Amino acid sequence: MGKRILWALALLTAVFILTNATYSMAAEKIYINGIDANFPPFAYVDKKGNADGFDVKALDWIAKEMGFKVEHKPMDWDGIIPSLRAKKIDIIASGMSITDKRKEQVNFTIPYWNIAQVIVAPKDSTATVDELLSKGNKIGVQRGTTEARWIKENLIAKGKNFSLVEYDSAPLSVEDVLNGRIKGAAMDDAPAKDAVNKKPVRIVGTFGMPSEDFGYAVRKEDSELLKKLDEGLKKLMASPYWNELKRKYNP
Amino acid sequence: MIESLTILAGALPYLLKGSVVTIGVVFGAMSLGLLFGIALAVGQVYGAIWLKRLIGLYVWFFRGVPLLVLLFLFYFGLFSLLNINLTAFTVAVIVLGLISAAYQSQIFRGAIVSLPDGQLKAARALGMSDATAIVLIILPQALRLAIPAWSNEYSIVLKDSAVAYALGVTEIMARAHFVASRTYQHLPLYFTAGVIFLILTYAGTKALRLLEERVHIPGYSQ
Repeated sequence: MGKRILWALALLTAVFILTNATYSMAAEKIYINGIDANFPPFAYVDKKGNADGFDVKALDWIAKEMGFKVEHKPMDWDGIIPSLRAKKIDIIASGMSITDKRKEQVNFTIPYWNIAQVIVAPKDSTATVDELLSKGNKIGVQRGTTEARWIKENLIAKGKNFSLVEYDSAPLSVEDVLNGRIKGAAMDDAPAKDAVNKKPVRIVGTFGMPSEDFGYAVRKEDSELLKKLDEGLKKLMASPYWNELKRKYNP
Repeated sequence: MIESLTILAGALPYLLKGSVVTIGVVFGAMSLGLLFGIALAVGQVYGAIWLKRLIGLYVWFFRGVPLLVLLFLFYFGLFSLLNINLTAFTVAVIVLGLISAAYQSQIFRGAIVSLPDGQLKAARALGMSDATAIVLIILPQALRLAIPAWSNEYSIVLKDSAVAYALGVTEIMARAHFVASRTYQHLPLYFTAGVIFLILTYAGTKALRLLEERVHIPGYSQ
């Protein structure tokens, strides 16, 4: 009997791995969009567990308009560019800022959103941005973001007296602001507004970082997909649905 | 409080679907680890010296490198380099399975060497080949002895599977984090994730305990 169980297990394991391998070779090409599901209102997971958010719905519209299929896959922000380059995903439409550094690795569509970076602090604190970024205070930020990089290069490296604590997501840094472990957290203004709506925090203000543009990222060699996305974005921004999206998600 | 509970109740089906993913990862990894682990154990006990060294190297590597490092190494490194495009789920199963094989091989090796020497000699004296004796005499006894330690390994793999979240496997932990990001209810969600893991650990170890009693050889002694 033991032998039969072993054989059954061996067979199951093999079937398991094979089905998974062939699954990704399905006949019709479905583009996979990698999202940081911890980034409301641009990308998150709704009550039923489906991907939702400004970027998700925008890309769905573009896919329909341009005649391709897209699926959204929640993943860790840290590994999102390696995942794109390793062909685990095909698009990143998840509030990604266009930067020169990232352009070395991926291609971006036309910009579709301009975003400012702000500092968030507890509602009952009266500190200004300058006060927060001094006195050896701890300030939170999401790991792997442009604001983390900018703060290190332009504030800390230039002698500002505070330290940076890096988190997995912006909401986790907000949670730690409320726990009192850090004095404030730096993030894009859209998720900051989302946090203000849900938690007793306030937006203290900007901290001198130039505003950035969001674009969708694709692999360097996927120029055809890039063309489709660019065209789709232009159509979307000219359509009434664009304003509808803005009203709905209020980014 | 009421608000937390409502959010939690709404998120529960989504979290529970995550436990199906977790169970899938654990079942796959444990099965792979079992097959591979038995082969490694037999090789390490009865194999030629070079085989023993090779297996020793394998065990040393997979026990020595942290899980997260191995996951990233395989997912972003090895499989990409070989141009094999596996899903995050499959890679998690393979990596956890390879690591578990290293640990399970030592569980089985311990069980095999704890059997009295005479068993194999007696089997050989009855005219069995080495292979037949190992399959029919040694392994059935060793596997029974290994169950308690194996259930330990189950609970470790179960908890380790949460790390697969870093690759984007939407298991329990990943889902709890997603819902917490939307709702800002971190404490109740991580608490619930913990409870789901506790239930899965309990159910698995209990089942293995029952199996242990069921397959116990009556009157067996050293």
